[in-house]
Amino acid sequence: MECVVQGIIETQHVEALEILLQGLCGVHRERLRIHESCLKSSPNLGLVASEVRVLCDLEQPEPTWIVRHIGGAMRGSGAEQISVLVRTMVESKVSKNVLRLFYALGYKLDHELLRVGFAFHFQRGASITVTVSSVNKMLKLHATDEAVPVTPGIQLVEVTAPASSENYSEVAAAVSSFCEYLAPLLHLSKPGTSTGVVPTAAAAAASLMSDAGVTT
Amino acid sequence: MPLKWVFHWQPNAGTTVNSQMLTEVSQCAESINGVKEGRWKATLTFYKPMFRADQAVPAEYPRDFLGISLPEQPNRYYFIIRSQKIVLEADSSIQMIMEKLQSYKSRVSLTFEGFQYQLGDFQLRVGKVAPSASENLRGIVLEVEYLPLSSMEKSRQILDGFVEIWQEAMSKRSLPGHFMHIEPNFAEFGLSDHYTSQHTAVQYATVMAQLISAVQTAQAVRN
Repeated sequence: MECVVQGIIETQHVEALEILLQGLCGVHRERLRIHESCLKSSPNLGLVASEVRVLCDLEQPEPTWIVRHIGGAMRGSGAEQISVLVRTMVESKVSKNVLRLFYALGYKLDHELLRVGFAFHFQRGASITVTVSSVNKMLKLHATDEAVPVTPGIQLVEVTAPASSENYSEVAAAVSSFCEYLAPLLHLSKPGTSTGVVPTAAAAAASLMSDAGVTT
Repeated sequence: MPLKWVFHWQPNAGTTVNSQMLTEVSQCAESINGVKEGRWKATLTFYKPMFRADQAVPAEYPRDFLGISLPEQPNRYYFIIRSQKIVLEADSSIQMIMEKLQSYKSRVSLTFEGFQYQLGDFQLRVGKVAPSASENLRGIVLEVEYLPLSSMEKSRQILDGFVEIWQEAMSKRSLPGHFMHIEPNFAEFGLSDHYTSQHTAVQYATVMAQLISAVQTAQAVRN
């Protein structure tokens, strides 16, 4: 399981966000360059249609691979009262043959993306990861060197934390509480509930940059 | 990691494997001063594709999609499609992902289990092959692991030498069959000379193919 919220921020304010995150998290950022392939089952394969994501971390000296299955979100009045999305998520590290295997099993590439940016991993009531990335599409199959932004000028911010059925409310509370610190720059909400950019972002960014001694 | 050769028991034409043979093989290991250690167990699962419409499996879907868990890698799981020379190493959580996808289901599971023996630089594992839910003996496997080396080329002569000693000890027991080792073409699976658990998984898939072929041959002879 995991708790997730997302938001968007203008690229011009990403540097200010990084300064804020650096101060809040107390850890160094890690560079992010992930090639994400979304695979879907062929028609008629499986009792229901299925989807799986294959992520290749291109930032490592030797690319590393993960398979991720994202399941349904928690529903009901309890879920509605929580400001973060709680959903099932299972992932597995895999060796490099993973795409060949899934193609052989009858899965097809639905779409692929390249996420480029940075991430912070830290503990604050839960094990939280904040990623800030531009989402890019490839003009040719698997051509990660020729990717262009899907939304130029806008980057995606995602805050996630692993959870279990025993502790998801505490994890959700920790994520919510952390997100409040980011409120001047961006609004984070459940994926699928878009809120756009925050009107105070420009002023907040300017303030952060000047506090950090960065002249623009 | 240390390399190993996996052998399967090839019964003579017209004979089948039984538990007395398994006892003899274990005694053979002890007769060449093998020190009995603990038990070991590996599991192999055949998967079949599921279809929404009630239809026969289209030809393009693999009929030899296997999953294997190995005792030396308790947190890993291995997938093999032998016909397409694909082997994948994954975390054990990949089994949960496959369950959630509901595109492939477990058709039958087999267990390889028995005792392991230490003989100097070698470790032997003798195991019976049986369906997971039953005690019906379907085969016998033997693993010969040479601990000091990981290079298959460098260790080939040493393993050949050991196997000679083993086969000689076995021949004294006059059992109706012999152990066979078929070395897969690891390079076709993208594997190098440096031995890994992926090599072991491929060997088990090969052994499985041999066991199935032996059963089919025996059935053809009976018919």
